[in-house]
Amino acid sequence: MTSHDTVAKGTVTQPPAPAAADAGAGSSSGSPTRRSVASRLTRWLSRGVVQAFLAVIALIWLTPALGLFLSSLRTEEANSTSGWWTALTGPSQLSIDNYTALLENSGITQALWNTVLISVPTTVAVVVIAALAGYAFAWLEFPGRDWIFLLVVGLLVVPVQVGLLPVAEMFGALGLFGTIPGVVLFHVAYGLPFAIFLLRNYFAEIPREMLEAARMDGGGEWRIFTRLVLPVGRPAVASLAIFQFLWVWNDMLVALIFADSDAQPLTVALQSEMRQFGSNIEILAPGAFLSLTVPLLVFFAFQKHFVQGVMAGSVK
Amino acid sequence: MSATAPAVPPASAGGTPPAPPPPGAPAGADTPRRRAQRRRRLVAALFLLPALLLLGALVVYPILFSIGRSLFDASGTRFVGADNYVEMFRDPSTLKAIRNTTIWVVITPAVLTGLGLILAVLTEKIRWATAFKLLMFMPMAISFLAAGIIFRITYEQDPERGVLNAVAVGVHDVFADRPAYPGARAREDAGETPVTKDADGSYGTAADLTPGSTVSLGIVGVPPKEVPADAEPAAPAPKAGDGVLAGTVHLDFVPGGGGEPGRIDSGERGLPGMTVQAVRDGKVVGETTTAADGSFRLTGLADGSYAVRLPASNFAEPYGGVSWLGPALVTPAIIAAYLWVWTGFAMVLIGAGLAAMPRDVLEAARMDGASEWQIFRSITVPLLAPVLTVVFVTQVINVMKVFDLVYIIAPGPVLQEANVLAVQMWLVSFGGGNNQGLGSAIGVLLLLLVVPAMIFNIRRFRRSQS
Amino acid sequence: MHRTTGSTRPTRRPRRRSAATAGAAAALLLSLTATACGGDATTASDDQKLKGETITVAGVWTGVEQKNFKKVMDAFSEKTGAEMKFVSTGDNVSTVVGSKIQGGNAPDVVFVPQVGVLEQFAEKGWLKPLSKEVDKLAGDNFAPVWKEYGTVDGTFYGLYFKASHKSTVWYSPEAFEQAGVTPPKDYDEMLEVGRTLSDSGLAAFSVAGEAGWPLTDWFENVYLSQAGPEMYDKLAAHEIPWTDPSVVKALTTLGELFGDKELVEGGGSGALNTDFPESVEKVFGSDPKAGMVYEGDFVAGLISGQFGKKVGEDAKFFPFPAVDGGKPPVVGGGDAAVVLDEGKNANAGMEFVEFLATPEAARVWAEAGGFLSPNEALDLNAYQDETTRETAKSLVEAGDTVRFDMSDQAPAAFGGTQGAGEWKILQDFLRDPSDPKATAEELEAAAAKAWKKS
Repeated sequence: MTSHDTVAKGTVTQPPAPAAADAGAGSSSGSPTRRSVASRLTRWLSRGVVQAFLAVIALIWLTPALGLFLSSLRTEEANSTSGWWTALTGPSQLSIDNYTALLENSGITQALWNTVLISVPTTVAVVVIAALAGYAFAWLEFPGRDWIFLLVVGLLVVPVQVGLLPVAEMFGALGLFGTIPGVVLFHVAYGLPFAIFLLRNYFAEIPREMLEAARMDGGGEWRIFTRLVLPVGRPAVASLAIFQFLWVWNDMLVALIFADSDAQPLTVALQSEMRQFGSNIEILAPGAFLSLTVPLLVFFAFQKHFVQGVMAGSVK
Repeated sequence: MSATAPAVPPASAGGTPPAPPPPGAPAGADTPRRRAQRRRRLVAALFLLPALLLLGALVVYPILFSIGRSLFDASGTRFVGADNYVEMFRDPSTLKAIRNTTIWVVITPAVLTGLGLILAVLTEKIRWATAFKLLMFMPMAISFLAAGIIFRITYEQDPERGVLNAVAVGVHDVFADRPAYPGARAREDAGETPVTKDADGSYGTAADLTPGSTVSLGIVGVPPKEVPADAEPAAPAPKAGDGVLAGTVHLDFVPGGGGEPGRIDSGERGLPGMTVQAVRDGKVVGETTTAADGSFRLTGLADGSYAVRLPASNFAEPYGGVSWLGPALVTPAIIAAYLWVWTGFAMVLIGAGLAAMPRDVLEAARMDGASEWQIFRSITVPLLAPVLTVVFVTQVINVMKVFDLVYIIAPGPVLQEANVLAVQMWLVSFGGGNNQGLGSAIGVLLLLLVVPAMIFNIRRFRRSQS
Repeated sequence: MHRTTGSTRPTRRPRRRSAATAGAAAALLLSLTATACGGDATTASDDQKLKGETITVAGVWTGVEQKNFKKVMDAFSEKTGAEMKFVSTGDNVSTVVGSKIQGGNAPDVVFVPQVGVLEQFAEKGWLKPLSKEVDKLAGDNFAPVWKEYGTVDGTFYGLYFKASHKSTVWYSPEAFEQAGVTPPKDYDEMLEVGRTLSDSGLAAFSVAGEAGWPLTDWFENVYLSQAGPEMYDKLAAHEIPWTDPSVVKALTTLGELFGDKELVEGGGSGALNTDFPESVEKVFGSDPKAGMVYEGDFVAGLISGQFGKKVGEDAKFFPFPAVDGGKPPVVGGGDAAVVLDEGKNANAGMEFVEFLATPEAARVWAEAGGFLSPNEALDLNAYQDETTRETAKSLVEAGDTVRFDMSDQAPAAFGGTQGAGEWKILQDFLRDPSDPKATAEELEAAAAKAWKKS
């Protein structure tokens, strides 16, 4: 940067920059000083190109999201006659009316509440059950342990699709089909392999001496689990909880099948409006934005855990 | 690399399970020890019970059930053997789904990994890397439903509403003139000088007009609000002189109806700004545009016979942009939306790998005068291979199961064109098809497709444990 | 506010009602305010024979529709002393009712919105045959066709209380005036009117191609008029294949319209980007792009509710015109009241259905608005506006030639699935109507598969 400034000002002691650049690029036999100026310039130039390129990428990534946000603040009339970008120059078209209407729509608020009723219990259940199992796999002895754990590793990638039909049938017989507990159970079961895998690996890294010492002190396994393993494993538990919560919060497929109209979460309620996309945009845009505020808040509040959780989930 | 620790199981010895009781201890003799062991097993069983119960009932059992169910017919009463699997490759819509899923698997993970790699390397060179990573990673947090809605808004066909087509049309219009009367057309087979439409969209009279004659050309299909404000009432062209073809182009429609097709009736207005050509033997020999009352004069014509033509450029429909969600582009369009969601993931994961790379190797290479490209190709990429593999495999698995994005973004009429296995499985078993036999078979196919990934995971895990 | 009903409905089984009710609800609200003062029409009866009994009624209605139906229930309880309870089933009537029966909590009366569901209930043995009194009332007051649609295997189970009329072409009088045309008398004339409209600078029809189901309705109207009710019934039951020459002919006739860029707003591909409310907006919105839109009586609700136009002034309809010298088609539909065997108060429920068969019951809702009754004994003056009155008249006058929506009678895989079966094939046909024969073959292939499975 600084070298460029000097060059650009055309300090008398130095030859004009463009000539130098040309010479440097054109012949390989330039003097050492000339060459270094040239290479510095190319480096600066290429950094400029990189900056510009990444800026364009950032813009491309930002634009669609901005489109959703602005569309959600415009009336249906405005959305059906002009593009959302006109709001950038005419902010007067923006209003929160769509959101007010949305929050007065009992179908939507019920669905939002259902989303909470599904995702929070699922998260708690997955974390508790997987922590217990993860501890058992890491530190308790029982026959066939390694083989069972390998099975769990194998289940990591099982697509939920395989489970949809049989479980739907089973839930139908049990009277769970269509209910929130049914949705939660399904989510918990399909969240477990990853959760167990993650926590078992984390717990296994606890120094053995710590556990031996605790056992020597006569602590029962339950005590060791709650007093030692869980506190030590807190980062992993936090990552898992965040990841699991978002996974369920954002789910549509499972709820589409297992939740009936009283139990459907926001994603399902919104997708039912999709087939009249053009006409329903004043519900869909703010609804989508509403549904993503919680994940975004979680994302910004727990950035580190979130990134870890998602990356840990990469085997999923 | 600490961030990826859980995904790539630690290689350290910390993970090894506690050793069995010391061999020196006399087995069986030490009752308290045995009792402790039994108690520990009991505790282990209790700790594992909820997990194994749920996994067994809702994951393992359904897998077996699905395999069995896939051998029965739609209602589940008749054993049909492999019929459902045969049907899968015969039913056009399932076949289409298989084809599209293949496209997804072949293209998406590779593009995503490549894009992630490039961005991760480039991001190292900027100061606002953190902000950039944050922005790119953000879509990971939101649901596919929200992402789908975002892209439905983006891909909107109408250039007035969809940002992508607004850009496309903007670019297009820089290079092309806007037509004077888009969508209008000449009235054919009416009036004294009938016109016919040519294949290229232009309208022309027969080639039998000699200089000195006049024509009147009736146009219809112009919305009242698109008639220029300065348009004056049309009048029949006065007799033309030597070497001149004269005439009128008028809007051959009286508001409220009435009037005779092909004639200039009172109340009909001329259409200014229309391009008119004189054509002789297929070659344009004269061109002019109409005046406010729609009249035109093509002058300087030698004796002979001519046709008067209204070129297609007068009527061309305005460029409407690209049909992103039409049958042809819908799958690439949805893949692009998928990339929007997942690129940040690939970038951050690969970026973590980059950060963990031994700096001295890179520095040494730079000292040796290796170019950035050489370093990238022969050092960075090979060293990153494990991370790249993880990203790639993850995405292959993910892409096979993609459901929400396709289901949300593809409009109803093109859902079949965008169909993928996971969507087809849903359609066949729940969304109207009601064929649980075929649905189970598709589920099993999906399971079979991820078996390599399953083996990959198990082997990687075992390696990390040994 | 008109969204309230729509947004909670699942689309697991896509059904056209959602759109219809959403719009109608808003329209109803408007008409409600107008009639609120004169609502107390029912006279208290001294015959309180059902005092102490509670009748549970289940139906798909929500929002304003539910509110207006409750007026009908109130009228009955005032008359008989019975206590009435309404349960909303959402869109999934069969699932909800099935689970309630299993849970020992069956409602007494259920309104089923589709012929297929009625048959399904009857076959499962859930239904009580309707009493002689209902039978007699239905025989006296309804055209026999309504009774037939409520009959399964010779037993009369379902009384059609609420009807819909799907043979109405809505047009903008302003556009017609501008083009100097009047409502057409037959199909060819309709195309002629369309071409004149197009000359005037406005597309003739706005077609909701993205939705799929309006296309099936288009086809059904053409087919019913051109091939006649007998053939229609056969095709609906899949007794004749879709490759039948009559189908090809109807598709050719329809293709004449669909394939004409002057007649269809935006051409085929533009229509495929138009969802149902948008198709109405293109005629009655602030920036009209077309002069006519075809769909059922529920369009009126959308016009007044969502686009703020006055039905009868800014928007009018003409009956779907006759094709090739046939009779003008009347495609209809409706909600049938059935009595469940397992209901705790099934007998009282039967009394309620008997009440529903009387013009008295129909009048209550007709006065509230947003309602059509197939009951011939209902005085047309009970309807609150001219447009509804005309629709009702056309429905009643059609008498026995009314036919139910064919796609509703088909297995859902064929007639009711987004992106599949008839919807999808007709969407492809809209994009390129050049080969009706190939389209007929595709339809037959899909139909054969769907009927085999069901």
